[in-house]
Amino acid sequence: MIPVLRREFLGILRSPRALAALLAAAVAFSLLVLARWPAGGLVDLSGAGSRGAFLVFAAALLGGVLLLVPAFPAASIVRERNQGTLLLLFNSPIDALGIYAGKFLGVLSFAALVLCTTLPAAAAVYAMGGVDPWRQIGLLYAVIAVMAILSIAIGLLVSTRATSPDAAVRITYGLVFAVAFLTLAPHALTRGTTGLYATIGEWLRRLSPIPVVMHLVGQGGAVGGGILEKDSGVGPFLASALALAAVLAVATIFQLDHRLFDRSRDAGKITDDRSLWVRIVRRFVFLVDPQRRKAGIPGFLNPIMVKEFRTRRFGRFHWLLRLAAGCAVVSLLMTLAATNGTMDWGVETIGGLLVILQIALVVLLTPSLAAGLIASERERGGWSLLRSTTLSGWRIATGKLASVAWTMLLVLAATLPGYLVMTTIKPTMWNQVMLALVSVLLAVAMTLALSAAIGAFHSRTAAATVTVYVVLMILYLGPLVVWAFRGDPFGEQVVRFALSITPLGAGLSVIGMPGFTQYELIPIAWKVAGVTCVLALVVYALQVWRLLRPE
Amino acid sequence: MNATAPVLDIRNLTKRFGEFTALDNLTLSLERGQILGFIGPNGAGKTTTIKILVGAMRPTSGTATIAGADCVRDARRIKRLVGFMPDTFGAYDNMRVREYLDFFGAAFAIPRRVRAKRIDEVLETTGSGWMQDRYVEALSHGMKQRIGVARTLLHDPEMLILDEPANGLDPQARIEMRDLLLKLAGMGKTLIVTSHILPELSRICDVVAIITQGKLRAFGTLDQIMRDLRQQRTFEIQLCGSAQVDAAATAVREALEPGERDGVRALATESLVRFDTARSDTELSAILATLVGRRIDVAQFREIPKDLEDAFLSVTRREAPAA
Repeated sequence: MIPVLRREFLGILRSPRALAALLAAAVAFSLLVLARWPAGGLVDLSGAGSRGAFLVFAAALLGGVLLLVPAFPAASIVRERNQGTLLLLFNSPIDALGIYAGKFLGVLSFAALVLCTTLPAAAAVYAMGGVDPWRQIGLLYAVIAVMAILSIAIGLLVSTRATSPDAAVRITYGLVFAVAFLTLAPHALTRGTTGLYATIGEWLRRLSPIPVVMHLVGQGGAVGGGILEKDSGVGPFLASALALAAVLAVATIFQLDHRLFDRSRDAGKITDDRSLWVRIVRRFVFLVDPQRRKAGIPGFLNPIMVKEFRTRRFGRFHWLLRLAAGCAVVSLLMTLAATNGTMDWGVETIGGLLVILQIALVVLLTPSLAAGLIASERERGGWSLLRSTTLSGWRIATGKLASVAWTMLLVLAATLPGYLVMTTIKPTMWNQVMLALVSVLLAVAMTLALSAAIGAFHSRTAAATVTVYVVLMILYLGPLVVWAFRGDPFGEQVVRFALSITPLGAGLSVIGMPGFTQYELIPIAWKVAGVTCVLALVVYALQVWRLLRPE
Repeated sequence: MNATAPVLDIRNLTKRFGEFTALDNLTLSLERGQILGFIGPNGAGKTTTIKILVGAMRPTSGTATIAGADCVRDARRIKRLVGFMPDTFGAYDNMRVREYLDFFGAAFAIPRRVRAKRIDEVLETTGSGWMQDRYVEALSHGMKQRIGVARTLLHDPEMLILDEPANGLDPQARIEMRDLLLKLAGMGKTLIVTSHILPELSRICDVVAIITQGKLRAFGTLDQIMRDLRQQRTFEIQLCGSAQVDAAATAVREALEPGERDGVRALATESLVRFDTARSDTELSAILATLVGRRIDVAQFREIPKDLEDAFLSVTRREAPAA
């Protein structure tokens, strides 16, 4: 175990990403203390200032762990398997438990190191007064540490099953965010009811660290429309998260053996060569069968765009159809819930949730498609082949962007039926819906441009994906955190400024989502998105041009 | 373009990275339909040369033309003239072989109908038709190399540049690759092949270029290079028993020039004496006569035939002290 632990820990520390993470954490938390430290020699007897500082500190700590930690375990095993070093480990005296423990503790040590850089800030918050060192700060660190443990356990399990580091990173982030945020949704939907669903909702909610952290900072009922209003026990969260992490660890350890390599090469069966019966069944199951022989790429289509669709597992048309159908069903269900009066939310709130659903899809899906557009080519040797073809830089750049843009537009189009029902119920909302849709489209454009531009500067897909996710999460979740703490500690101006950074706030404001109506964010948010989009596209185009020209 | 003009013409090609000279005044030319074996140790400048030829790198000075097209100024024409197979395959996930080739065919703007026919042709040429429905990432290394060659042939280029095509192949696949390259040369393609597997190259190459530290050390047909090397031949004296090995070695040393004496090796376990010399056959017969005169029982007195590997080692060792 020790050699694995040492190599894992040192390997992380030697990466520029780790150095950047440590520096970013140290600088960010130092600035936090500087910003909140009482000036002018006055003592804040009410403790409001220190509580505000503690609140921002806790939110930053939780956000930092959710954004930083999953990237490291996610690529850990799959990269070793692809490089062949995992097989060497299996043939060493270290058993599966030793390998797992080494990797787990290696990443955990790094997470602990990151948390250590925040200790001076925690001490400063305590020194401001009004915050209990054990019942608040100590428990906050315990919650954050357990969330880190859970994230590592999820990452290592995904890494064992994934086929590439970037896929592992995407899935891990998706699952970690699902644990943190999606687990709150069932409770919100079943609030005030009793029965099995309500119990399940309550249990799922205990897996999320957000209610616990909010409770610790004294904001239990501040945000979320009732999601966080209950007394959020630290104990249930720690127990359920640790239990889940243990289950995931056992599942991972059982998979860490030679069976990981016991996979034969795909024989490449083609539906066209199968029996008529099989062909009929597959036609019903898939609609667009991925195993059918494809016709050549038509001359009027950009070959790069077609190639991007074909090389993505979920870019294949049958998956897109499923995704679009899923989105359509969710949007219709939400509208149905509103019209039936099963939830006393009103059409505006449902509209706001639809905007959130759409932008959440944009933020979660776009980086997974766009971050690796250039990086994956460079990583796998495709870039030198593309350079040797007669394709122009313009066609390569636009073909790649178009492949993501079409996918996202298709997914977003599938959520439109919800809006259609809304405008039928309340025709006066037509203009609001149109403005909200423009905001969502701008969000797609901005997210796509940023993902492509940032990703183009990387030569490894996993690193590109992580960087893009971190940037987008800060861009989209940051303003929401600021909005959640409007009034204390953030003033009206700060909230307005934060919400105008992305089109999300504009969409929510224009659709009439409660809590956002007082902010006039159009056209400023649109202008910001437009300028960001253009700048990012210029950077992306320049980088593609730079990579294509002779060295 | 003149049919007799060289298809590849490199003149005084130099590439510097700051203080480091990766390529130093490289000059060579190649006739149509010839196979050039481009060999050199790691870091010798082979990849730099290839990158310049395919338009991926600009030279510091000098010129390189392929079929009259300048590798720097006519980059687009060069892409049509050259089929390039780098040492990394460049696989895409979830893509079948036929889709993979179709994509690159479309990238070269080959019309759809022509493309389908062309894919069938290149698959047949490379003997890969049976794997057209396989996923690219699931192919073995040998299969990938064949598909890599098929890809370079799609747009019917005049010249193929293949970087390490036999690298990592098993003996059977290596023989098949050798036959494939000869077949391509037979089709009139001009080939530049880099490889570390020198016996393979010596069987297929018309011309060999040996490069070390960015400088061209030897260039010509294999026979020409061997003739140059033959000035320093290696001989082996097989004795009937190991007891006389030292006596034989002493006799040989006495007969050779002082500068050649260090190269005499006495191998007692094999009852052998080996030495390098530039002496004529008449002088060598005198050495044999001396051995016989000293009652040393000589079973065989033979010259060790040299191959491309020896030529390579001879050239690289000769240049090593300058490193």
